[in-house]
Amino acid sequence: MRFRLSSEAVDSAQLRDALRHPASGGFCAFEGWVRNSNEGQEVDGLSYEAYADLAMAEGERIVAEAIERYGVTDACCLHRTGDLKIGDMAVWVGASAPHRDEAFRACRYIIDEIKHRLPIWKKEHYVTGESDWVACTHVYREHEHERHHHHGHAHHTHAEAFVPDYSRQVRLREVGEAGQAKLAAARVLVIGAGGLGCPVISYLAGAGVGTLGLVDGDRLDASNLHRQTMYHARDIGELKVDLAARRVAELNPTVTVQTWTEPLDVANAVDVFGQFDLVVECTDDMRSRYLSSDAAVVSGTPLILASIYQYEGQLQFVSAQPGQPCLRCLWPDEPAPHAVGSCAQSGVLGPVPGVLGAMQATEALKVLLGLPQPSGSSLVLVNLLDFTIQHLPIDSAQGCALHGGCVEVARRALSEAEDEAGIDLAFGRLEDAMAQGFTIVDLRDADEIALEPMPVTVARWIPSAQVMARSCELTAGRQLLVCASGRRSAHAARQLRARGMREVYSLAGGLAALRLTI
Amino acid sequence: MTVVNLQYYAQLREQAGTSSEQVTTTAASLQELYEELRVRRGFSLTAEALKVAVNAQFSAWDRPLRDGDTIVFIPPVAGG
Repeated sequence: MRFRLSSEAVDSAQLRDALRHPASGGFCAFEGWVRNSNEGQEVDGLSYEAYADLAMAEGERIVAEAIERYGVTDACCLHRTGDLKIGDMAVWVGASAPHRDEAFRACRYIIDEIKHRLPIWKKEHYVTGESDWVACTHVYREHEHERHHHHGHAHHTHAEAFVPDYSRQVRLREVGEAGQAKLAAARVLVIGAGGLGCPVISYLAGAGVGTLGLVDGDRLDASNLHRQTMYHARDIGELKVDLAARRVAELNPTVTVQTWTEPLDVANAVDVFGQFDLVVECTDDMRSRYLSSDAAVVSGTPLILASIYQYEGQLQFVSAQPGQPCLRCLWPDEPAPHAVGSCAQSGVLGPVPGVLGAMQATEALKVLLGLPQPSGSSLVLVNLLDFTIQHLPIDSAQGCALHGGCVEVARRALSEAEDEAGIDLAFGRLEDAMAQGFTIVDLRDADEIALEPMPVTVARWIPSAQVMARSCELTAGRQLLVCASGRRSAHAARQLRARGMREVYSLAGGLAALRLTI
Repeated sequence: MTVVNLQYYAQLREQAGTSSEQVTTTAASLQELYEELRVRRGFSLTAEALKVAVNAQFSAWDRPLRDGDTIVFIPPVAGG
């Protein structure tokens, strides 16, 4: 219960302590007090009357909305009923969150909505001895202005008035009016609105690509801001695709934007790819890259892949034409997560994804305009420490061609992925999984476990790098593999399934997902 | 003895502490050379996880070494 009505004085210390959580780096509270005047009349007290059932249900909804909307760890609200004196606390709102911005905004949202929506009536007692019921009017709701300012209808009027000026690119002999018309007719899907995605989305929107599809399930984190240049500090906690769509609307309102707030999966990837002329893969996720390569090949949609590591990057164009190499021609199987590193583990200099993303955007425009792509079937290695770029031609005859061709290999991989769709299981608490007979297996490294111990006593600890060698320990009954994010556990579960171990599962989203549901 | 020029990318560059080096080796193939380097440099990745290119062309691991070859070891990377 996160919303309460109380006829007793508010114990704010107790309310605050209930919001303490290891995942919270900040806490913000709002207290509403009874003041001694209203609209020029001296007041010496108030009474609150509530339609309790409705107020409780609506209050609970408001707090849940704030948690969902701003991604805060926890929040609560208590509203007084009965008679109050000057200085008494009438309402208390608190929110705790990883970062202060979400906490402030959630707090503000709750108090604004409470004032606006709750069936609570205020009767003011004036020093003259009179009293009066006071209607709550003129409620200013900050978040409405946020939304209005950012998306809202303002853009419609703007879109009618705004005439984009593409003269600087139209002047290029290779572009011209005909090229600009090609861009306006083009539909491009950008998967991932992070370090690579920011320049890709910005440049394609600016260039006047007619339709942009944006896919990303993540919310903006403060640690993204050094490389994800479309976003603002005030946006922390919001869905990146919403922010990116807003940015596109601000940059070029003539662009049509479609958004997906969940990553694509094996069930929809081929269909979604089929709705676009070109896909740009900008995620930090190997699994997404392989799914994109398979979906590109099967749907015949060209794909531009890039990935980065610290000061370097790799770029590959998959034309999805017969005889041209795909991702699997080079790396037939998805590498283990520990082999590929990530920005979080290995670190990254902010401009590195910027450079690689700008290269992807350039390649995308070349594809759409029909310009020559001399590195079309190469792996391009970009080293920003010494500014070298190497082109390594990929011999498609040595790739999937040896295993039935790219389309056949991709179809097989997609059908295997469909079989594995039941591998990821979501639980709110690990205790629930144990009650259903799952053996919990912790795949994290010792240093991770020291930082975040398991919330339950686990049956086994096998670091992910050893899991295949020690698979014989996982034969009795249903096993639930657990890691920090769900990536290593899902990869291990798939590998074990491939060895015929049908009762191995992975905790979807890892421990991070559990933390969100507490 | 063969003298070859090596270039490292990503995790290998990080673990080797350098982007490139020249080595003199008795290894007969790329595979043998990488195993030798793995021990000496403490590389965590095995050859199966990598691609190798010689003189700007991807190559099979059993390719013999020749004096002056420029060899690039490439791990897959995932950041974005």
